[in-house]
Amino acid sequence: MAHPILSALWRNKTGPLLVATQVALSLAILANALYIVQVRQAVSARPSGVAHEQQVFHVEVRRMGVGTSQDEIAQLHRETATLRAVAGVQSAAGTTQAPLNRMGNYGGLTTDRKQLVSQANTTNYSVADSVIQTWELKLVAGRDFLPDEYVDIDVRTSTDAARVAIVTQALARKLFPGVDNVVGKTIYNGTGATTRAMQIVGVIERLQTPAGQIDERGEFSTILPARLTGYGGGYYTVRAEPGQRDRVMKEVETALRAASPTPLIVRTKSMEEYRIERYRADTAMAWMLVTVSVLLLLITASGIVGMASLWVTQRRKQIGVRRALGARRVDILRYFLAENFMITSAGVVAGVLLGLGLNQLLVSQLEMTRLPAGYLVTGAVLLWLLGVGAVYGPAWRAASISPATATRSA
Amino acid sequence: MFQYYFLLGLRSLRRNPALTALLVLTLAVGVAASIATLTILHVMSGDPIPLKSDRLFVPNLDNGPLAGYQPGDDPNDEQLSWRDVRNFLDSKVGERRTALYGVAAPVESERADLGVFSARGEATSADFFPMFDAPFRHGRPWSALEDRSAAPVIVLTSQLAARLYGDESPVGRQLRLGGNAYQVIGVLDKWTIVPRFHRIVGVNGGAFGDEPEYYLPLTTSLQRQLGRNGSSGCTSDPGPGFQAFVDSECTWLQFWFEMASSRDRSSLQSYLDSYAAEQRKLGRLQRHAPNKLYNVREWLEFQKVVGNDNKLSAWLAFGFLLLCLVNTIGLLLAKFSVRAPEVGIRRALGASRRDIFYQFLLESTVVGLAGGLLGLLLAFGALALIAMQSKELTAIAHMDWIMLLSTFALAVAAAIAAGLLPTWRACQVTPALQLKSQ
Repeated sequence: MAHPILSALWRNKTGPLLVATQVALSLAILANALYIVQVRQAVSARPSGVAHEQQVFHVEVRRMGVGTSQDEIAQLHRETATLRAVAGVQSAAGTTQAPLNRMGNYGGLTTDRKQLVSQANTTNYSVADSVIQTWELKLVAGRDFLPDEYVDIDVRTSTDAARVAIVTQALARKLFPGVDNVVGKTIYNGTGATTRAMQIVGVIERLQTPAGQIDERGEFSTILPARLTGYGGGYYTVRAEPGQRDRVMKEVETALRAASPTPLIVRTKSMEEYRIERYRADTAMAWMLVTVSVLLLLITASGIVGMASLWVTQRRKQIGVRRALGARRVDILRYFLAENFMITSAGVVAGVLLGLGLNQLLVSQLEMTRLPAGYLVTGAVLLWLLGVGAVYGPAWRAASISPATATRSA
Repeated sequence: MFQYYFLLGLRSLRRNPALTALLVLTLAVGVAASIATLTILHVMSGDPIPLKSDRLFVPNLDNGPLAGYQPGDDPNDEQLSWRDVRNFLDSKVGERRTALYGVAAPVESERADLGVFSARGEATSADFFPMFDAPFRHGRPWSALEDRSAAPVIVLTSQLAARLYGDESPVGRQLRLGGNAYQVIGVLDKWTIVPRFHRIVGVNGGAFGDEPEYYLPLTTSLQRQLGRNGSSGCTSDPGPGFQAFVDSECTWLQFWFEMASSRDRSSLQSYLDSYAAEQRKLGRLQRHAPNKLYNVREWLEFQKVVGNDNKLSAWLAFGFLLLCLVNTIGLLLAKFSVRAPEVGIRRALGASRRDIFYQFLLESTVVGLAGGLLGLLLAFGALALIAMQSKELTAIAHMDWIMLLSTFALAVAAAIAAGLLPTWRACQVTPALQLKSQ
């Protein structure tokens, strides 16, 4: 069976070569594109550590001038109370930053004053109330801050700092490799003899940084019990009752403005929006790749249909002769399917090599990671199916050619 | 003959509508994908200030701590400390010097309906406006003298001016910003620069982010301790308060030198080296890292203004175009192969192979033109879709004349290239064989 097909292909190489090239190009691009889509999807699906994100939003308040430290602490308490009084608010807390909001404070940490280089770069959440409650973070060891551990720090005059800290599991592992329980350990903010010591009182399972970096640093977070003043504004995170977020967001703005004797700038933004903004580029890339992949398959399928139709037209007479000599319809059908399978297979083999080459190029030029073999296998199967599917129509038409065609001239 | 073949080509589009539609569509989709991504790449990697890009320089010094430093490590930061910026501003090196950092402060409008709102601006020095050719609609920039005296003056962009004062010129009015009064001395004209290269580090949206809404003197904003809006790097605790931060080794300012010509780069480099040597005597810059200079293009490159994702999209699009071309070759082969009898008759009647080649190539060109036209429409659609993704992309996703013409050139070139093999095959027809089988 294979021999006559091969020799026929050999007699007329151009068309099959073109189809095989298309299959190879499609497979190479498709496998890499699918892999990139999967990588991007995995990055943007990472949990932030905040439970039920769709209930959480943040409020930014800016006042006209900067008051004294006492004024600002008083305002902080008042604004927090105002937030909690809004119907539908489950919990509210003052914080300096939030996961994925892309504005944050970062600094180096060490475990020993003698160390010259910081061991890990962490982000510092300075919080005025328990974000463990508001964000429903999972405490895996130790405890939340006690009320008397919160310190007031005026960034304009004070050199004070929090004395206790809660860290994420990822950060604890980085700072104390191989240590099971880090609660009670001391860490230092920065390097040198004058750095501040902090005692770890709790470890949380996970809390992403405001930047949400794609490597392990994306979860290097520290929570500090400190009310910072001197900025002329405040930042709060609020958890609304399920399904109430949008209404609560509007009412919070009105309530804060109404409660303030001086004009305020109040802005609210949901965590969902921050997430969308953080991963916008990844989502757009994934959509573009999916679009291109679909177009790719359509074009390749149309190419196979076009070429197969041409061959059927060119071979009408031969098909008629074969039929007249006793070939059944299924034989003709099988012939075209087998022929196409051979061409597609040649394309798939070339495509696997091309795909590996393309991936190599992406790895060396665009800082990508190596393509797992599974994507090439998936792509190959997909193209085989596509090939059979595309050729089925023309092959069926070939099988329908009547044996009487052989008796007609031209 | 050209006209006749062209008309024949147009007519043959109708001959096999399904095949022709597939041909044109394949070509159009391939061209649209590559043009859309190429347009974005073209705009992103454009030269924002062509006349000066090779003589504007960003200096970079490494003022990180020596402890734990290995020669060859990345520099501590890409921005500068106020110490170095102040010295550079006073240096008299080059034609102009300017430094800038981002500020954000609440604006109190005289219009009751606007209330207070937050606006982002940049604090910079007098040279900023002439250095970057900022166009003025009303008023003037501030002077070096006003820089020195920390004058409470402000220059607004046309958008902020229109929002606050409508159409009338606000020059001379007072504006309250962050609790202080400033006199409006100038309003910029519409000033669109892509990529926005003046300040990229620590700006939300980077080189394609929003334009700042106002400019005020650096000295004034430092004196009034206006809130910073941007990134900063500190390797040690600067201590409490704004002034301590300003006086520290923390890096948070962007600096630019303008030289008379690109040839002055070496003199600027030697100034930078001798400056660093001098500072070392004072106990600073102990890392002895190389002092770097970047011109505008190098700076955009260093800041990765064109991201890997953009390059990836462009590569992908061209891979896709290649696939479309292979497909087009196949389809043209099919289209031309059924015309073998026609070629046979023409050849028998005396047409040379050359004539046939010419005729079929023109036919491919017609397909290319049709594909280009449709591709252009699709490319516009694709760009509109991309622009909808985000504000940053809106600034990038628009087509200029160069890209418009490239679209056509690409489509026609692609069609001709794809048509070469089928055309050559069509020329190989033996007249006698064709006539006989008729």
